[in-house]
Amino acid sequence: MVESKQQWKAWIYLAPAIVLLLVFTVWPIINTVRMALLNNYSGLKAAGGASFEFGISNFQKVISYRRFVQCLKNTVLLCVFTVPISTLLALLIAVALHSIRPLQKALQTIFFLPYVTNSIAIGMVFAAMFNIVGSFFGTENELIVTSGIINNVIEFFGGTRINWINYGSSYTANMFVMIVYIVWNALPFKILILLGGLTSINKQYYEAAKVDSTPRRRVFWRITVPLLSPMLAYVIITGFIGGFKEYTSIVGIFGERMGPVNDAGRLNTMVGFIYDSLSNSNEGRASAAALILFGIILVVTLINLQVSKKRVHY
Amino acid sequence: MKKILSLILVLMMLIPSVAALAEMPAEGYDGSAVTVKFYHIINRDDQLEVLNNAIVEFNKLYPNITIDAENAGSYNDILNRIPAEIKGHNEPNVTFCYADHVATYNESNAVQTLDELIDHPAVGLTAEQKADFVEGYYNEGKSFGDGKMYTLPFYKSTEVMYYDKTFFEANGLTVPTTWDEVEEVCAKIKEIDPKSIPLGYDSEGNWFITMTEQYGSEYTSATEPHYLFDNDTNKAFVKKFNEWYQKGYVTTAGLYGAYTSGLFTSTDETRCYMCIGSSAGARYQRPAKAEDGSYPFEVGIATIPQVDVNNRKVISQGPSVCIFKKDNPQEVLATWLFVKYLTTDATFQANFGMASGYMPAIKSVLEIPEFQEYLEKADGGDNIAMLSMKVGMEQTDAYYTSPVFTGSATARNQVGNIMTTCLGLTENVDAEIDKAFQNAVDECEYAN
Amino acid sequence: MTQKSIDIMHARNLHKTAANQKIGRALVLAGIYAFLILMALIVLFPFYWMLISSVKSLAEYRFSVPTLWPRMILLKNYAEAFTAANLGRLFLNTLYVGLVSTLLSLFITIITAFAFARLEFKGKELLFAALLATMMIPGELFTITNYLTVSRFGWLNSYTVLIVPFLVSVFYIYLLRQNFLQIPNELYLAAKVDGTSDWKYLWKVMVPLSLPTLISITILKMMGSWNSYIWPRLVANDEAHRMVTNGLRNAFTDTSGDVNYPVQMAAVALVSAPLFLIFVFLRKYIMAGVSRSGIKG
Repeated sequence: MVESKQQWKAWIYLAPAIVLLLVFTVWPIINTVRMALLNNYSGLKAAGGASFEFGISNFQKVISYRRFVQCLKNTVLLCVFTVPISTLLALLIAVALHSIRPLQKALQTIFFLPYVTNSIAIGMVFAAMFNIVGSFFGTENELIVTSGIINNVIEFFGGTRINWINYGSSYTANMFVMIVYIVWNALPFKILILLGGLTSINKQYYEAAKVDSTPRRRVFWRITVPLLSPMLAYVIITGFIGGFKEYTSIVGIFGERMGPVNDAGRLNTMVGFIYDSLSNSNEGRASAAALILFGIILVVTLINLQVSKKRVHY
Repeated sequence: MKKILSLILVLMMLIPSVAALAEMPAEGYDGSAVTVKFYHIINRDDQLEVLNNAIVEFNKLYPNITIDAENAGSYNDILNRIPAEIKGHNEPNVTFCYADHVATYNESNAVQTLDELIDHPAVGLTAEQKADFVEGYYNEGKSFGDGKMYTLPFYKSTEVMYYDKTFFEANGLTVPTTWDEVEEVCAKIKEIDPKSIPLGYDSEGNWFITMTEQYGSEYTSATEPHYLFDNDTNKAFVKKFNEWYQKGYVTTAGLYGAYTSGLFTSTDETRCYMCIGSSAGARYQRPAKAEDGSYPFEVGIATIPQVDVNNRKVISQGPSVCIFKKDNPQEVLATWLFVKYLTTDATFQANFGMASGYMPAIKSVLEIPEFQEYLEKADGGDNIAMLSMKVGMEQTDAYYTSPVFTGSATARNQVGNIMTTCLGLTENVDAEIDKAFQNAVDECEYAN
Repeated sequence: MTQKSIDIMHARNLHKTAANQKIGRALVLAGIYAFLILMALIVLFPFYWMLISSVKSLAEYRFSVPTLWPRMILLKNYAEAFTAANLGRLFLNTLYVGLVSTLLSLFITIITAFAFARLEFKGKELLFAALLATMMIPGELFTITNYLTVSRFGWLNSYTVLIVPFLVSVFYIYLLRQNFLQIPNELYLAAKVDGTSDWKYLWKVMVPLSLPTLISITILKMMGSWNSYIWPRLVANDEAHRMVTNGLRNAFTDTSGDVNYPVQMAAVALVSAPLFLIFVFLRKYIMAGVSRSGIKG
């Protein structure tokens, strides 16, 4: 079935992409592997003429970091929670948007607005919602200037204030805020993709279902989801790949401290660790950490691809 | 035999040329046309004008030196760009920097030592010029552990204590000059206004480092072992401030959740009456005008509290400049002439100080009439920037420098974390303080 | 019971069921609207925040307690934003880079996705997996090697360096390939029988059928240019080539490092407005869907 003419043609179609990838993606990856295998490689020292030996000490150093397991844990937990939640939410919103007539245009436009919102503004909003301004919590001198909007709502309904991200806040509370923030940030893109996918579904399927008076839920699970499955697979797989690289969101909420003020670095992720190493010109260590992260993402993606082979219908 | 002789002759001819690469020509700058690339972060129009005027004046003296000044963004932008450019061999000639940055850049040996330029017979600094620098600022360039000089100060800021002068006078309080006096004043303020936080201190890192200087205890060293701040004196003052926090006397930006200057300038219920912050941020320490155009209270500015008033120690911050090595010694010489002009020309320094609120690096600015007038206008309201400059220039004997090495920036962050972690402790205070110190040292040692 | 009364009862039953169904449907509809409006408000909140922040005074912005409604509305922030940052040049640079890179990138994405979706060649699975693998390394590590590469090419401070390194986006190739795979194979085979070349098939059939996805990719790529910061900062930050985010991040930063956020937000709002308008204009192409004429069965 495979004509040699078509083979040759395929490579022509692929040529521009492959050339660009070789220069700007493959070559840097080769360099990354190289830097990871040079003991204590530092780019600046190299520029000054220092030389480095081959070895795996970079990997050893990465694993021996006192917070290595913590970084891994944060990376994985954030991913495991945010990807399913944001995908499901985006799916529901996209389906809902697709099914209404009046107000459809206005609502679709509103769901696009997060794209044009400055990320600083988003960070500030979350600070205003969860940040408690005040001091001396837990002592007799306790002074609260503001508990943040969420706490105000909680207290309005008779609950007690929660310490979300300030001194003494719990890991669970921190993670909760991060998950909400990340899901919030991820929604617009997913809604856009899924909505585009929904509008591509042949309406004949829906008309047939209507004739049969199929209940909505069955239409959703038996028609919509399977027909949308290629896009869903895409959103989930790329969601996981992107989720494992999470870093800027933590900075958005906690700043460079990457954690509440009494436990700096508590929420650090693998990419955060990579970034720290790069700032200290420890490219060897950063590269080693990136390769470790790559290994993890690869395994998860392969699992995802296997699952999608069975579940995705083209 | 002939062959060996001719080989020796060739070698002898090579030696001077190799030496010439390493040394500056004794005649100094020879007038050839060079371009000097200069990265800065000035983007306000009035400050840019001062810089551009200086460049024009400089070109009157050296018409063949073209200054290519570029606003390179923020300090972080520069810190990110320069290492990449060093690796790509296209770094600029001179850049704004913090001393900590230079330690990083110098891992590649790319930074020019300034000693041979400062002591150069033709283009060096005169004894007068050297003495004109504020000693504390000048010495920062030499704190790299090898005795050599890598940076020159450009303009500086410091920390000062802003206080509510109106409140102090109305309640008969004296402005504290020592930490013990601060404690007493805090107690009194708490009695007068129980809902207040008497003292705010925004930068935890600065606080820790300044205290180590004031107590004469160890912080860091530019030579190994680097991280020396885990000692009993430091733990003692951390514990003391923990007790202050528990009594409700003090808070920091990290603990408060927002700038303490906001606490200082607010006219709502919760306030602080003393706020230690940057001298360059004076306008943020002034309350908003009331509707009738007057200020709710007058702001006073004083030197920050000390352990020993006869041995004052105050931090200095702000950018310096560093020069990069280049193959063409004329380029380096031309760059040096430019740097020398910017840092020693009193007119430029005075004008820039007035436009920016930063303090000049040299003392002779005080002789410039416009500058004197500027300082005369100082008050605790409209002209608060002048007041903070005045206070800053009166304490020039007190500026200390911290050692600079790869990891000094990490150390500063970590000791800041020690302060925030420890001040809020309510149980197992001693054990937790020990742990916080140990964690900080571990992080520092890991990063570098 | 007479037939007639049975008929009438039957008719009434149908009526009731129909009525119940109508009520049921109305409830579901109401539920959907409630859900959507709630999510819309949540999603709208940061945008609202950005707008009110852009008209606050700097002092008010720095209040410990953020205000939900500005005490004073300073429209002059917008005037200041417009003049201070040289927005015109920034905007032109970003528009130019955005348009060129989007068009070129779309072309490459389309032909590459087509190859993976419809053409057969040895090593297809492996190559695609390798492509996916490139997404798994954080971008920070590419930066330094790419910097050295473009520096050696002499591309610094040019438009080329802002456009070329990012023309291939595996992210979007993957997305389009998914879309292409959804287009039935029968169409392709039918076209082949008719003697249509692959090239013609791609541009005359597959591209129109994938229009919603292609529009999404266009919008996302333009956004990417608008928001790009780290790479331009490193390679092309001079006056002639500076792009919007780089210009905005520092235009309102004082020499002391303090940022005038309200004016910066005003500038961001000004600069985002065109993007928003593009979306509104293209929205119908995404949402309108695709008509499938010419397919039997």
